Amino acid sequence: MRKALRVCCLLLAGLLLILTVSAAMAEEPVYGGILRWREINDPPKLDPAIATDTVSSRNIYLMFDMLVDNDPDGKGIIPRLAESWEGSDGGKVWTFHLRKGVHFHKENLGQPTENGGREVKAADWKYSMERLVKVNSPRAYFIDMVKGYQDFVDGKTADWVGIKAVDDYTLRFELDYPFAPFLSVLAYNSFMVVPREDAEKWGKDFNFHPVGTGAFILERWDHDQKTVYKRNPDYWKRDAQGRQLPYLDGVEIFVIPDNTIAYEEFKKGNIDAFPDFPDEFYLEAKVRFGDLLQERPWLGTYYYGFNTSKPPFKDNKTLRQAMNYAVDRKRINDLVLEGRYYPGRGVLPPGMPGYNPDLKGYEYNPELAKKMMADAGYPDGIEVELNVNNNPRHKAVAEAIQAQLAELGIKLNVKVLDWGVHLDLCERAETEMFRMGWVVDYADPDNFLYVLLHSSNFGAKGNYAYYKNEKADELMAAARVETDFDKRVELYREAERIIVDDAPWIFLFHYTTSLLGQERVKNLRLPAFGDYTTPLEAVWIAK
Amino acid sequence: MTAEKKPKTSGASLRYEAWLRFRRNRLAMAGLVMAVTVILGAIFASSLAPYDPFKQLIWTEGRAVRLAAPSAEHIMGTDLYGRDILSRVLFGARISLQIGIFATVVSLFIGVPLGALAGYRGGFTDDFISWIINVIFAFPFFLFVLAVVAVFQNPSMSVVYVAIGLVNWVAIARVVRAQFISLRDREFVEAARALGLPTWRIIFIHILPNALAPVIVQATLGMGSIIMIEAGLAFLGFGAQPPTPSWGLMISEGQKYLGLGKWWWAIFPGMAITYTVLAFNFLGDGLRDALDVRLKR
Amino acid sequence: MFSYILRKILYAVPVVWGVVTVVFILMAIVPGDPARLMMGQRGDPATLARIRADLGLDLPLHQQYFRFVGDLVRGDLGTSYRNNEKVTSALVDRFGATLRLAFWAMVVAAVIGVAAGILSAVRQYSLFDYSAMFIAISGVSAPVFWVGLLLLLIFAYGFHLIPGVGYGDGDWRYLVLPVVTLGVRPAALIARLTRSCMLEVMSQDYIRTARAKGLAEKVVVLKHAFKNALIPVVTIIGTQVAELLSGAVLTETIFAWPGVGRLAVEALVARDFPMIRGTVIFMAVIFLVANLIVDLSYGIIDPRIRYD
Repeated sequence: MRKALRVCCLLLAGLLLILTVSAAMAEEPVYGGILRWREINDPPKLDPAIATDTVSSRNIYLMFDMLVDNDPDGKGIIPRLAESWEGSDGGKVWTFHLRKGVHFHKENLGQPTENGGREVKAADWKYSMERLVKVNSPRAYFIDMVKGYQDFVDGKTADWVGIKAVDDYTLRFELDYPFAPFLSVLAYNSFMVVPREDAEKWGKDFNFHPVGTGAFILERWDHDQKTVYKRNPDYWKRDAQGRQLPYLDGVEIFVIPDNTIAYEEFKKGNIDAFPDFPDEFYLEAKVRFGDLLQERPWLGTYYYGFNTSKPPFKDNKTLRQAMNYAVDRKRINDLVLEGRYYPGRGVLPPGMPGYNPDLKGYEYNPELAKKMMADAGYPDGIEVELNVNNNPRHKAVAEAIQAQLAELGIKLNVKVLDWGVHLDLCERAETEMFRMGWVVDYADPDNFLYVLLHSSNFGAKGNYAYYKNEKADELMAAARVETDFDKRVELYREAERIIVDDAPWIFLFHYTTSLLGQERVKNLRLPAFGDYTTPLEAVWIAK
Repeated sequence: MTAEKKPKTSGASLRYEAWLRFRRNRLAMAGLVMAVTVILGAIFASSLAPYDPFKQLIWTEGRAVRLAAPSAEHIMGTDLYGRDILSRVLFGARISLQIGIFATVVSLFIGVPLGALAGYRGGFTDDFISWIINVIFAFPFFLFVLAVVAVFQNPSMSVVYVAIGLVNWVAIARVVRAQFISLRDREFVEAARALGLPTWRIIFIHILPNALAPVIVQATLGMGSIIMIEAGLAFLGFGAQPPTPSWGLMISEGQKYLGLGKWWWAIFPGMAITYTVLAFNFLGDGLRDALDVRLKR
Repeated sequence: MFSYILRKILYAVPVVWGVVTVVFILMAIVPGDPARLMMGQRGDPATLARIRADLGLDLPLHQQYFRFVGDLVRGDLGTSYRNNEKVTSALVDRFGATLRLAFWAMVVAAVIGVAAGILSAVRQYSLFDYSAMFIAISGVSAPVFWVGLLLLLIFAYGFHLIPGVGYGDGDWRYLVLPVVTLGVRPAALIARLTRSCMLEVMSQDYIRTARAKGLAEKVVVLKHAFKNALIPVVTIIGTQVAELLSGAVLTETIFAWPGVGRLAVEALVARDFPMIRGTVIFMAVIFLVANLIVDLSYGIIDPRIRYD
């Protein structure tokens, strides 16, 4: 008996100790305060159905929710408005069990909303998905394997038959074929729930009256200045202690086009969070702000594509490989990009499921490159045009690579183009070489390999290099419908090996994402999916 | 208007008189000297420049030459790639002058004939050409150049000066038109017409030489604004392509580092632009006073 | 007077029509597809086709043109491709900021320019004259974005005299640096023009008469000479206002100022045709109106001018 009491006392004391220590380590969050976040331009779209850029997404993440979300460290899919789900029928049917007690915003821009703050039901999800098709969402086709997509698009059916509200809290998707990355696709920020009443009231103008379920409510949109959000008091999420989120009173997203000015504003304390931190101030900020400047690998790849449908790169693998050997990725990264990127060896970025750490890639080897240039039929070098879209970082990299290739007698003529023109030329295969980057939509190798390098995706759908290898095609197509994860990884690795050997790109770098926050801003955590997805509902500001 | 007061003198002595007036004008002389230094710098860039303006020293010498502050070796410092800024500024004079001159030539090629035709012919021709001029004048100038640059798929220096020329010619045309209107009924033109000379001869051989002074002034002043427009285009990422040592491009690359106190990359090219534009503005003003012309601005 | 204004407006119609047509043609031949740009980096051709049809971009060019002109005549500038904003409301929204910037820049430029010009003329060839004219010409010669950036680094971030960039919800302190940056050029032009006009007027007989009558120099300069030198100065102020309204692109970018210039450039990059057309037409109309006002103001300054 006495022994038992002693054990009890000891346990209690230990518990107390743990509690005090953890309380001292993690300060108690406080409510209140406005977080001021910097963006480079005005968000073009606040309607999740039609937004495709990161600035819009930053805003949209504040106001809307998906069914499922990406784990902040890129380790799979986590629940959001769906509490749980299961796949059946060999991956052809997906059933989601919805969270109860999630409500749409009660107000918007200071006015009461049409929906009046009612609860989200499965029928809202069906409506929201169908709305994507109705408003010509550029991302609706991400889920074109959901049964009845084409018929619904063509207007042959009144609804999208593959999506069913089984009951108020159960939603079911039926697919035409087993599509392994389906769950990851639903974490993409177009697949968010919107209230029918408000969406129908505003029609196209829903873009200016966005109503969702998110932690923040749009209060004001001063174009080219800022978007102003206030706290959603009825937000569904609570912290570990059961307290209502979000802690912040509001968020303001400021538009400051110039990086130099934005950094000065940050140093003055006029902004609290500075995402996608520019290279030129990186070293200084590292010293000055230490860990407040967060940086982590981003699921993205930076490459120079060869147009493999036209000479000189058509049917000349040796030339493409030679140019891969001719670029000193490590030193460009160190000297021009402040060592912020990762030299690339293949297509998939580190952190991506299926990433192959043993891939050899192309080490810088000017002698070998020179020899291979001769083997490729260009002993005296070659003159090539490189198209680059208008962005300071891309221009900086291009100037460095230009100088390195010049050492091998390769004359690279850089053409800096508007993004629209750049895309257009790449899609129509009217380039010789082009800069391109790819950042994950959904964390699955499919989103890189199949999208960017499968021959069914020539042009606009992602394969700008017009690369085709039948064996690789087969492997990637097989991996799409394979449901066993390990088998899929094996297929993707095999495909990537073939692709790297074929060298349809110069595999250059893998991106990092970064975010600089003020010291008083707590709980600001940069996720693997990029700065613009940083959740703000649990962020708080120390007094 | 002062032309009538002047006694009739031969062309040579008129020019001499103008030169005397020009020489008395200190700012004008300063402009002339400055412009000559820019031109000399451009011509002799390859022998004056201490380094190859394209040579990126970082690959051989490492971080020490990356954005190095001005020193004895690199008088204006180096840029991100360890390129010598002084050398690039010197070669940049070539680019700026090239753009200034070619854009002016394009403007003259379009503006002079159209302005002359409008002023000489009058009537419907004049209405039509004046309409075009007014339309282009009503456009926001910078935006129009930007749009014209965007229309060309192949960005290059030639696109920049053609685009600027396509917009800038209206200023020339206006001046030429006004001159031709005031000259077309003068005796010597009537005489030429009476002789049955073809219109183009009357325009180019008889009237134009008498209308040149304001055109020269307008073209000189235009040089300055063309160089500035190139810089503005480069700032927004249009125009000159890397690694061209264009001053505008250098400012747009270097201005990112101003906040770090690494001022030399953006400041020296900016000073070069200011110096050059200043030269042409002084020169243009001096010419205007010396040649005694009035320009509608 | 009224018929004069009417005539001027009628005269402006073909010019506006020309602007409308030229901007339509430019957008028709400019490479880059707005519908494609709305899709982000990757797009599905079937969806692209539907978006193009939705925007009317699949129609033959002449139909697009007639549709556009027809809408324009009804006062409808269309809806932005980029963000679905009504072009007219976007213009109204941003024009306030630009107007505020341009107005104060012009006020500052006119006051400083006229004062410096008069003083320079009165003390011709003095040290003041030379330095004022030197500064004036330098002011026209430095790239505007470069000047703006330097001003910001020195005054806002070096000495902390200015709170920062942006519109600042209308706080006047945010206005100071953009106004100075934008005002330098017109101030210089006005100073030079005022000086040369004053010099010319002051050499005229009636000024000599006025002086001979023993009028105070101040009265001679301000009342007699300046009044007569005013017309060219007003002209240049008019043209500069138009230039400021449309030429503030770079200043607005540096100072994060939510104005029409930036709107126009962003629209151009995004190939947002309705917005580009709208901004250009709007600026052209502003230009023509400013010129009309200048014309009319001659009559107020110099009653001898008649409008018939």
